[in-house]
Amino acid sequence: MRTIHDIHGGIHPPERKALSRPGDLKQAPIPPVLVLPLRQHLGVPALPIVNVGDRVLGGQTIAEVQGVMSVPVHAPTSGTVTAIEARPIAHASGLQDQCIVIETDDQDQWLTFTGTADWRALDAATLVEQVRTAGIAGMGGAGFPTSVKLNPGPARSIETLLVNGTECEPYITADDTLMQCQADELIEGARILAHIVSAESILIGIEDNKPDAIASVEAAIARSGAEIELATFPTKYPSGGEKQIIEILTGQQVPSGGIPADIGLVCVNPGTAVAAKRAIIDGAPLTHRIVTLTGEALASPQNVTACLGTPITALLTHAGLNAASEQRIIHGGPMMGFAVSDLSAPITKITNCLLAPTPAELPLPEPAKPCIRCGHCAEACPASLLPQQLYWYARAKDQEQLAEHRLFDCIECGACAYVCPSQIPLVQYYRAAKGQIRDSEQEKRRSDNSRERFEARQVRLETEAADREAKRAARKAAAQSKAAEDGVDPIQAAIERAKARKADQASEPEQTP
Amino acid sequence: MGLRQQLDAIEPHFKPGGRFESWYALYEAVDTIFYSPGSVTRANAHVRDGIDLKRIMITVWLATFPAMFYGMYNIGLQANDVLALSGGVLDGWRGGIVAALGGHDSANIWHNMLYGLVHFLPLYLVTFIAGGFWEVLFAMRRGHEVNEGFFVTSILFTLTLPPDLPLWQAAMGISFGVVIGKEVFGGTGKNFLNPALTGRAFLYFAYPAQISGDAVWTAIDGYSGATPLGVVAAEGMGGLTEAYTWWDAFIGTIPGSIGETSTLMIMIGGLVLILQGIASWRVVAGCFVGMIAFSMLLNSVGSASNPAFAMPWHWHMVVGGFAFGAFFMATDPVSSAMTDQGRWLYGILIGVMCVLIRVVNPAFPEGMMLAILFANLFAPLFDHFAVSANIKRRAARVS
Repeated sequence: MRTIHDIHGGIHPPERKALSRPGDLKQAPIPPVLVLPLRQHLGVPALPIVNVGDRVLGGQTIAEVQGVMSVPVHAPTSGTVTAIEARPIAHASGLQDQCIVIETDDQDQWLTFTGTADWRALDAATLVEQVRTAGIAGMGGAGFPTSVKLNPGPARSIETLLVNGTECEPYITADDTLMQCQADELIEGARILAHIVSAESILIGIEDNKPDAIASVEAAIARSGAEIELATFPTKYPSGGEKQIIEILTGQQVPSGGIPADIGLVCVNPGTAVAAKRAIIDGAPLTHRIVTLTGEALASPQNVTACLGTPITALLTHAGLNAASEQRIIHGGPMMGFAVSDLSAPITKITNCLLAPTPAELPLPEPAKPCIRCGHCAEACPASLLPQQLYWYARAKDQEQLAEHRLFDCIECGACAYVCPSQIPLVQYYRAAKGQIRDSEQEKRRSDNSRERFEARQVRLETEAADREAKRAARKAAAQSKAAEDGVDPIQAAIERAKARKADQASEPEQTP
Repeated sequence: MGLRQQLDAIEPHFKPGGRFESWYALYEAVDTIFYSPGSVTRANAHVRDGIDLKRIMITVWLATFPAMFYGMYNIGLQANDVLALSGGVLDGWRGGIVAALGGHDSANIWHNMLYGLVHFLPLYLVTFIAGGFWEVLFAMRRGHEVNEGFFVTSILFTLTLPPDLPLWQAAMGISFGVVIGKEVFGGTGKNFLNPALTGRAFLYFAYPAQISGDAVWTAIDGYSGATPLGVVAAEGMGGLTEAYTWWDAFIGTIPGSIGETSTLMIMIGGLVLILQGIASWRVVAGCFVGMIAFSMLLNSVGSASNPAFAMPWHWHMVVGGFAFGAFFMATDPVSSAMTDQGRWLYGILIGVMCVLIRVVNPAFPEGMMLAILFANLFAPLFDHFAVSANIKRRAARVS
């Protein structure tokens, strides 16, 4: 039995998970129009390889990677590309981004895929490439390109592949449902991923509020006959943070600024493992994902498998939202999610939940009051930071102190904002401060670059000047030595020549009008 | 919705550019008492814990009620006991009320409560109005809301006063506490001293005749009755145990500040605060650890000339302002330390300083107020140490 460690802080918000009936997975209808953002992941957007007017088939690559930190995009069904343009996307900023718009036909024609049943015969590089071309990005919420994660580098040796089935945020049951309905694929995918990173063991961690998922995964492990450890641990938010679950299950802390691979772990979401299984064994790219549609404003909250690119409004209408109402829709969970400004925005690879709460269910926050330094935030912080100090420094824009107090160790889980009696939107301040620091670092890099360029130019000009001076001196010395040899002063000679020329010009007739 | 409409109708006058623009804070305060505000920030955590500032302040306010009601009763009990011996009655307007509604029977709870009420209530009202005046004035000039924290400051301040303090002095004290103790530093959350204790300290040094000595603790003019700490300082432990039993002091049938006499009642309110997570148990525990350790040290050192050295810790706990200070004053989050380690150190410093001032300084028989204000000054330093240690530990973890 594995020792379960406790993390500092944490909170126990009302879970409300039963609302969306985890374990009951339905298929969402294919909408008439799909909007596929070119960036559904963390990193560089993909490059469109189709043109407006092209007919595409399901599974066809419609945008290709640009560089390492990039993930391709595939068509989730057949249809015609009608536009490649900036469309509203589900992002906290409310900004638009480049998207490929596909008008779907009802035929749902697909490319035929060829998979590899005997994946053990393939080497890691080939498998990583297949994961990459299948367009897999971390499906837990951050959208980190999985192919990059599977390449921890030769310096780091991986002992354990950790599948993070915690899903600690209230309301969300997408992973819970996936673990109940696709447990066999999950196990198969985990074994493939472990093979890729040559991990010796596989560990699956599930919070103890999901007994059905635990039973289903347990049965799947038994069926597979593989040696896979399943660990359950007490429910607490945010146990599902990558650094948090690693500390809970191993007692080790990921170094500040480091990644789990530094301590021999690769941590993936169950959805990512299933996607990897489908990519390798079935040869199918990532075109769908499970989304929890929940909240009391919906007539029938549920979990659905939906095409990536399905407009949010289409899914919510499917779940019984009265589209006419002035409704706040939260993308993600109630702790870390953000309100969507435009409901025509599509779901992406990172959309695990769409939450439509009634005002009574999740009341809008009251105005922030002064901080009374009660310290509840420090008690709740899972990263054992001092949120209120960070708050003061963030307000003062004191970037040095923010760095000193490890602002970048903050995982933005929102536990501090949850407990704050003065209702200060603490995470807001941290996100803004992080953005400002990144900006000023970029600014500094830019100015460093210009300064270096300027300095290099100065050095170059100086050496050139010195060269010229040296050449001149050499010429002069040569001339002098020549003069000494010939007995003629070259300067005097030059003056004589100039005088002669002037005299010639003066003798020419003057032109008068 | 009649009230809502009226409030909305007059609101434009209080908006920028309106006739009463500078009175907006007052309008807002009245408005939010009745209605939840419509302007909101968009916080990131969409779900929130039930606790909020208003509830915290109201809980602290309610937690003082056992001590407050008992304090009123005790004012009457102490005075009526004395009056029964001398056969006198309370005079002035207070006497008129007492005579009209009750009497001077110290065995009658109502008579005692009434006697206390006519002393406590005017003090509280004056404190509330004078302090509230400054609070609203600053809120108006600064354009922010009136904060519920003032409810707490005013009740805590009143409970530390002697029962027959002149009302104008109460007004002076709370004014100093609110203005110098809090507002000049930027208002709620930015002060480093406890405002209630700052106000009391001001009275203590400006008008010592009315807030220290033997004559002020029983609400009868011209009557002199020493507090237990006064007795110890003068006559030693022998004198103390002759005058009062430990249970008298624990339950609170001793002369003293209005709300500070009953350790039992204070502990009831204090436990509520600790169980609600509002008061930090580390601060309270630190106070006790510091007080017990240091008084035991003094017990074992002993002194031929200073009889208070011999005072055991369980007496220190029940007399003077120790319990009230430990549970209600030291735990003020704004002026206390905020790190866990810092809170322990801060509490211990209070406990040690309290005993040190009580025993070793002959001029001050009571030490809790100064001990807490002193520790308030050190709280940021303790936090600084805790944070530096924290940062060092993290740095060590990086590689």
